[in-house]
Amino acid sequence: MKMDEMARMAVDNLRKSRLRTFLTTLGVVIGIGALVSMVSFGTGMQKNVTETFLENDLFTSLQVLPAKADAERIRGQGRMPAGRPLSRPDSIALDAAAVEKIRTMPGVTVAFPEVRFPVKVAIEGREATTNARAMPSVMGGFKPFDKLQAGSFFESDTARSVIISPRLLRNMKFVLIEPDRPRKLTVEDTLKGFRSARPEELIGMPIDIVTSSVDFSQLMRNPVAALSGGSDLPFAERTTRLRIAGVAKQSDGFGQGLFESGVILPMQTAESLPRLGFSSVWDLLSRTGGTESYGTVYVRVKRMEDLAPLKKSLEDMGFGVVSIADQLEDFKKGFLVFDAVLGAVGTIALVVAALGIINTMVMSILERRREIGIMKAVGAGEGDIKGIFFVEAGVIGFAGGVFGLLLGWAVTRVANGIANIYIAREGGAHAELFYISPWLILGALVFSVGVSLAAGLYPAMRAASVNPVEALRHD
Amino acid sequence: MEPILQIRHLQKTYERGREHVRALSGVSFDVAEGEFVSIVGRSGCGKSTLLNIIGGLDVPSSGSVVVRGRNLAAMSRSELAGHRRSTVGMVFQSFNLIPSRTAVENVALPLAFSGVPRKNRPPKAARLLTGMGLKSRLNHVPSEMSGGEAQRVAVARALVNDPVLLLADEPTGNLDSRTAGEILDLLKALNRERGLTVVMVSHDEASARRVSHRLVRLLDGRIQAQVRLRRPA
Repeated sequence: MKMDEMARMAVDNLRKSRLRTFLTTLGVVIGIGALVSMVSFGTGMQKNVTETFLENDLFTSLQVLPAKADAERIRGQGRMPAGRPLSRPDSIALDAAAVEKIRTMPGVTVAFPEVRFPVKVAIEGREATTNARAMPSVMGGFKPFDKLQAGSFFESDTARSVIISPRLLRNMKFVLIEPDRPRKLTVEDTLKGFRSARPEELIGMPIDIVTSSVDFSQLMRNPVAALSGGSDLPFAERTTRLRIAGVAKQSDGFGQGLFESGVILPMQTAESLPRLGFSSVWDLLSRTGGTESYGTVYVRVKRMEDLAPLKKSLEDMGFGVVSIADQLEDFKKGFLVFDAVLGAVGTIALVVAALGIINTMVMSILERRREIGIMKAVGAGEGDIKGIFFVEAGVIGFAGGVFGLLLGWAVTRVANGIANIYIAREGGAHAELFYISPWLILGALVFSVGVSLAAGLYPAMRAASVNPVEALRHD
Repeated sequence: MEPILQIRHLQKTYERGREHVRALSGVSFDVAEGEFVSIVGRSGCGKSTLLNIIGGLDVPSSGSVVVRGRNLAAMSRSELAGHRRSTVGMVFQSFNLIPSRTAVENVALPLAFSGVPRKNRPPKAARLLTGMGLKSRLNHVPSEMSGGEAQRVAVARALVNDPVLLLADEPTGNLDSRTAGEILDLLKALNRERGLTVVMVSHDEASARRVSHRLVRLLDGRIQAQVRLRRPA
C-alpha cells in the first residue's frame, strides 16, 4: 500500500474519534508550545545582545589599556602576582604620543582617550548628576550616534554643545513624548515634578554643566581638614553653559556598554573644563609618572577583520587590549547552556505528550482489534497495518507541531507585552524578548513529528502483530 | 486435473495455558477446481481452524496445505498476506464488516491493499454489489442493513479481488432460515455460474447437503467420513 493511501486511512481513523484525537494532539500542542516559547526566549536574549553589539559597532572597536595585566584584571581572568608594584617599570605610557601612534596603525579610523568625569547638569533648574564623556566629533558618523532621537551630533571638537541621553533626561524628571508612543502625564507624575517634552523641543536649550576640581593650593594649606571631610572641602565648582545639540536614542535596556553616560561633550570643550582629571584610582596612579597617561584609549577600526591583527600588534607593543567581541564568545557559550536548560523544560513537556500518544494509540488498538483483524483477513500486510498507525502518530505530531508553534507564538506575544509594560515603567525602550527563528520553526516541526513517530513505533508494531484469528473470533 | 487444494497430514496444536489442545490431528483431502465442498461436524471439531489455515489466517503445526501448487506452510507472513489478498476470499458468520464504512467502502477495502488505483475501486465495488441486488444499499453502513444484506456485502468483498477459492465459515449461522437459504443459493450460483471453488464450514448438515458436491465430516480433528453427493458440472 502506498504512503498516501496510509495517510488517508490514518486521517479517516483520527476523524472517527475526534475528541480523543483532539486531546492527544493538545498534549503535543502544549509540549511544543512550551518548547517554542522557552527556546525563543533564549534565542531572543542572544539576538538582543548580539544586535546591541552590532548596533554599537562593538565588533569594530576595542579599548587599549596601559598594560596587559590591567586588561586581564578588567576581564577578571588573570591574577596579579603578590608583591609586584602596581605600576610596572616596563609598562608603556599610554600618553598623547601613544594615541598618535595608534591612530596611524593599519585599519584604525578613530582613536581617542576615554575621558570620563562626574558632573552635575541642570536644564531649566532641573538637576541631576551623571558621568560626562568626551568624544571627538567624528564619532557622530558611527553607531549609535549616527542616528539620534532628535537633533544632530556636534560638528566640531570645540563646539559648545552636548549630546544628552534619555535616561539622564528622565533623572531630571523629563518625560519624553515619542511620536509612536503618545503618553500623558498622570496627576501623580505632575505632582512629583515631572514635565513632558518632545525630544525636538529640547534641541538648542541651554544646559549647565557643573564640574568640580580640587583646589590644590587649599589642600596644601590644610591637608588635615580636607582629609577629615569637613564642610569646607577643597573642591572648587564651576558652571559652564552649553547647549543641547542632540538627544541620543533610547537605550534598549541591555546597556550601551562603552557609551553608557549621561552627557557627551566635544573633545576640546571637555578639555577646557576644570575638572577632576581622573575617573578612577588607576588614572591617578599612572599620573605619577610625570607625563599624562590615559586610563583607556578607544580605538575603532574600519572593518571587523582589522580587529584581530590590530589587537595582536597592540599587545606586542605591551598594551593591554580589551575587545568586547572576545567576550561575545563567552556570552555565546553561556547562552548555549541557557538554551539547553530552557529546551530541556520544553522537552519534558513533549515527553509527557509522547506518553499521551502511546496511551491513546494503544487504547485505539484495543478498540480496533476487530478492524485490524478484518483488514488482515482481506489481505493487509503487517507493513500496511504498521504504516497506518505510524502515519496516525505522524499526523498527530505534525498537527501538534503546527498548533504548538501557534500556541508558543501566542504565549511569547502575551509575555512580551506584559514584560514591556514593566520595561516602559522603568523608562526602557520597547524590546523584543523572544525570537522565533526559522530554524526554531523547522526544528519544532521535525522534533514534534519525530517524537510522535517514536511514540507511535510500539503501538504500530503491536497493531501489526494482532492475531486475526483471535481478533475475528465471534464472541 | 491437479486439485486446486491439497491438504496432507495437517496437524494443529494450540497452547491454552499449560494445556496442549489438539484441534486437528492428521487431516488429508483434496478439493478439485469448481467443486463445492462443505466441512461439517459438531462445534469444536476443528472445522473453523481448518478453514482459517486454508485462508492463511492461521498456520499449521505440521503437514502441508497446497493451494494452486503453493504450500502455505512454507510461506512467510507477507506471502500469507498476499495469499489472503488475491488467492482466497473469506466470508464469516458475523459478517466482519467495518461498522463505520459504507457497503461500497467495505467492498473496496481489499482493493486498497492490492494496489488498485483509487478511482477504480468504488465503481468495481458498486458493480459487484449491484450484481447481488444491493443497488439501493451502496452507501449504507452495516447497521442500516439486514443480516442477509450484510452477508451479501461480505460475499461481495470476498470476491472483489477475483479469488480462486471462496472460504465461508458458517455463513448462515447468524441468519434466519429463509435468509440463510438465500445466501446458500447465492454461493451455489457463484459456484455453478462462475465456476468458483467454494469450501464452506457448517454445522447444519441438512442445508449443506442441499448445495454441496461433497461433505467432509470432521470429528475431534480427524476426518470421520467423506460423502459424495453429486458430481461437479
